[in-house]
Amino acid sequence: MSKAAAVQPSSALGRWWLKWRFHINILLLLVPLAFMPKYFADASLFRGDSGLGEREIGTVQVGPWSLQLAELRNEAPRPDGPAGYMKSFNAALCKTCIDEVKATYLRIGKPRSLRAAGVIFFGTPYRMGATLPIPERTKADAELWITLEGWDGSMHQASIPLSEASPATIAWLAQQGGKR
Amino acid sequence: MSSRLFKHPMRLAITVVLLGFGGQAMAHNPMCECKEIEDGQIRCTGGFSDGSGAPGVTLDVIGYDETILVPGKLGADSTLTFNRPAAEFYVLFDAGPGHIVEIDQADIEAP
Repeated sequence: MSKAAAVQPSSALGRWWLKWRFHINILLLLVPLAFMPKYFADASLFRGDSGLGEREIGTVQVGPWSLQLAELRNEAPRPDGPAGYMKSFNAALCKTCIDEVKATYLRIGKPRSLRAAGVIFFGTPYRMGATLPIPERTKADAELWITLEGWDGSMHQASIPLSEASPATIAWLAQQGGKR
Repeated sequence: MSSRLFKHPMRLAITVVLLGFGGQAMAHNPMCECKEIEDGQIRCTGGFSDGSGAPGVTLDVIGYDETILVPGKLGADSTLTFNRPAAEFYVLFDAGPGHIVEIDQADIEAP
């Protein structure tokens, strides 16, 4: 018998550790379980099983067309490095306007022109997404402008208060205002 | 390639971490910054938030009355320098429909 094996820990805890130390790694299998709820919530959000987004804003009438709007996440804008803070919205065009609408844009404040109509929604018309930059100096009474461009060349616009579109963004802006 | 990757645990770890960030790196939002340099000139630098530059992208200086004062394209270094127009204007970095950045003249820093 070697000398090392002859040394036996005297305490009960020491003996327990020697006997089970290898098998404890099975506990590592439990680690992913903690992340499961968030994983499945995200999967259902991105699949659309839990609706258009985390927070539905409602239907907005834009000229002859309408669209459903939702916040992807019911949270404050997320930073995107030097591009500033970004807020993601999802939208679904009404069934009859899918064939007529060429592009959907989103902007804070009234667009100066169609060229500067803001960020464009991309994806299927049943579930489009756009990521809107939110300047930190945005006023609390700012409006979110939706611009729809038709295949026939027509353009229709509508606006909703930002406070209605994203209360979380308004709360975040109030915080930013306090810092500056 | 992969056999070499798996021989170095650190390299593998970095790869896994980078894969995790992949979803975030996909978003590359347009960005543009304008600064006034000497002699009433303004220099605008365009790019994307994933760190890539924007050489050749359209950058127009447009008056408040929607006339295009300076039609331009960013140079190889992703910048464009122009004389400050006399009329009120804004800068439009235009990387395609919906991929724009507007900078109002009020937001252009003095030197």
